[in-house]
Amino acid sequence: MVYTLTAHSQVSKVEVTTNSLGNFELLRNGMPYYIKGAGAKDHFDLLVKSGANSIRVWSTNNKAFLDSAHHHGLTVTLGLHVRPERSGMDYNNEYAVKGQIEQLKNEVLKYKDHPALLVWGIGNEVDLRYSNFKVWETIEILAKFIKEVDPNHPTMTVIAGVDPSKSFYIKKYCPSVDILGLNVYGSIENAGANLRKFNWDKPYIVTEWGVNGPFEAKKTSWKANVEPPNGLKAEQRQRRYLELIEKDKERCLGSYCFLWGQKQESTATWHGMFLSNGKPTEAVDVMQFCWTGEWPQSRAPSIKDISLENIGWRKDHILSPSSQAILRIEFLKYNNKKVIIEYVLFPEAFSDKIGGDVQVSPDPIKFEIVNRSDDELIFITPNKRGAYRLFAYVKNNKGQTSVANIPFLVE
Amino acid sequence: MKLTIQILLVILLFCTLSCGYMREVSIYEPSKSISAFEQFPYKILFTNSEENGFWGVKNNTCKEVSFETTNNYIGKDHLHVKWNASKCKYIGMGLKWGNYKVKNLEPIIESAAIELRVRIDSGAISNLPMFFILMDYGGNQCRANINYLDLEAGKIDTEWRRIRIPLQAFNYEKRGVNMSNIKELRLEFQRKGDLHIDNIVIVTHDHNYKKTKDTHTKVFDSHPIQFGAGKEYWWGINTKYSSTLRFGDSFENESVVVKLDESNEVLWNTFGFSPYQWMRADLSSIYTTSALTFKLKANELPELQAFLFAYIGKKRRLQKILNENHFIYKGNGMYEAYLPLKSLIGYSEFRWDALKEIRFKILKGTQFEIGDFKLIEFRGNPKKPTEWKGI
Repeated sequence: MVYTLTAHSQVSKVEVTTNSLGNFELLRNGMPYYIKGAGAKDHFDLLVKSGANSIRVWSTNNKAFLDSAHHHGLTVTLGLHVRPERSGMDYNNEYAVKGQIEQLKNEVLKYKDHPALLVWGIGNEVDLRYSNFKVWETIEILAKFIKEVDPNHPTMTVIAGVDPSKSFYIKKYCPSVDILGLNVYGSIENAGANLRKFNWDKPYIVTEWGVNGPFEAKKTSWKANVEPPNGLKAEQRQRRYLELIEKDKERCLGSYCFLWGQKQESTATWHGMFLSNGKPTEAVDVMQFCWTGEWPQSRAPSIKDISLENIGWRKDHILSPSSQAILRIEFLKYNNKKVIIEYVLFPEAFSDKIGGDVQVSPDPIKFEIVNRSDDELIFITPNKRGAYRLFAYVKNNKGQTSVANIPFLVE
Repeated sequence: MKLTIQILLVILLFCTLSCGYMREVSIYEPSKSISAFEQFPYKILFTNSEENGFWGVKNNTCKEVSFETTNNYIGKDHLHVKWNASKCKYIGMGLKWGNYKVKNLEPIIESAAIELRVRIDSGAISNLPMFFILMDYGGNQCRANINYLDLEAGKIDTEWRRIRIPLQAFNYEKRGVNMSNIKELRLEFQRKGDLHIDNIVIVTHDHNYKKTKDTHTKVFDSHPIQFGAGKEYWWGINTKYSSTLRFGDSFENESVVVKLDESNEVLWNTFGFSPYQWMRADLSSIYTTSALTFKLKANELPELQAFLFAYIGKKRRLQKILNENHFIYKGNGMYEAYLPLKSLIGYSEFRWDALKEIRFKILKGTQFEIGDFKLIEFRGNPKKPTEWKGI
């Protein structure tokens, strides 16, 4: 046995049903279970305190996540890592396909009786820039296998946005898939309506959602992604949860916000709701409000605007080398009597990676500060020509932080 | 005399029978045939660090490499590598296989594999972010990863487990690697790991797996072509949620009846269909001489925007707002529409070998029926679609 079952760690029976109102519903051990979840690998204490009940992980490579989630009373949507074509997988290669299927079947057998398991997530964004539709055959083989060996947990496959052809292929080739998982950022706005238009007739879970992704962002003339300040991102998160996710009672079984943690995706702060030092950003407060209806007693400050040389964050900023420049921020303190403000300069982190593929974080650069006040920084631009990004962090005495950045070009 | 004849007959019979059992022997034939595998001289890649070298074994922030002398599978030592790719774009090392002499893998490509032994210090895993790269003297590289089917016991644990990477598993055809001119084998590591490696050798191996073919492309090379046959290949019509769009029956083939309440359900003003069962429709040989045609039944012409989508390519969408020049009135409220594909702006950048979808958005108009979509031959002026004598 992979783990020891105790009297308190029984396998949960999870099933998809239709309730008396005709709405799809997840039942866990016979009780309705609405997923208030996050894509998360740590900070489970705060997750539970914020009102969440589930986490989503993308692969089976770390059993400790399931054990820890279970210890915290959280359930887990467990991902089976089906290699996407963009990683070099060839679905015309019988050897590669069969090898992957056998390996993942073995993972199913390892984890099927884990008490934290809620739903199987078979593949993540295998459709992203794919060209070989045979990948759906692999998804079905795995879903069918799960149906045979694990009657206790529903099956789901997770796609990168909704599309009529994907809906058709999954319906046709994957009848053993119970739930559609949607990773939707900007496209969350029409996701529920589009699923109905595309005749998807089963339930769905919003498996990744949050602010618009770097791939949807405006770009500067030197191809740097323009990231909105935390304050604006927080407002977007809140609206999307309350007005889009929570309102679709008929089809949506719940959601996993992205990302309860930190990762480099274009910048170090784009999707992550925590900083690299482990401190929470204001996005964590927003999720508590979404999940419980109440704001935390101690709230992070909120940066609403950032500008460089009196030009807003949405525009291009081109500066001369070794010249003086002024950065300004506007923020709300909320109930914090005192806030601490920090500024950090990085080289621009260009990356051609897509989806959730791993990106490398750059190291900060030393720079000269001429003067600073509560909402203004006068600094000297680097003498080396190139693309940079200046970050402003506003935090309270507990480390709860709001962050904003502005890319600029020195030439 | 009789005896002489008898003796001659016996001798003749003996000779005939003897010749039947004799084998032709060439004086140049070797005593035993040697297989291509046996002839291959570079079968050992690594057994210990003194005899077979690596490059790229210098430690850095992402990689810690050592040659440990205890618990070896074979020889005096083995390779131990720990890596963490969070701060590095590339982590790899290479084997000075045959001291960089040219290796011709062509004769053994279907009958051999790279074999190695691996173990970890604790636990068990079935997957490892590690890749094997063969590089030719032209600098071309092909790769393969560990396949569960050739992983002994389906796991890597504290025992020395055998892994095989069949030469057939390398994507050398796709990458244009010259397998008769191989320079080296590289090991590439991703994400995070900690692995002991020993005894990297070439062994004989039967690889009984095929490459299958893509079956999701439908090639069209002659006109006319019926598009959108089969209601299951349409979207935008779901009467459970809206009665704005529903399937009609006025035409020979699939059609949509539109009853648009412009004040209300603007959400349901778009529908689409796959040209052919959501496969890639390949029109690459005929698109320049093609027009999309359809029928429309209405009291008044609606304003429609047509879209074409491709599965792949830089330009994945073409669009056009149709005007009265696209329609011919046929009487009794019936119209025929013609949209030459060459009239779509950007058509030359579009991947006509991977047409995905045809979509219509209703910009103006409340009640009509549209359907019977076809691709027909069109050789007229794309700007004056209805003036061509051929339609």
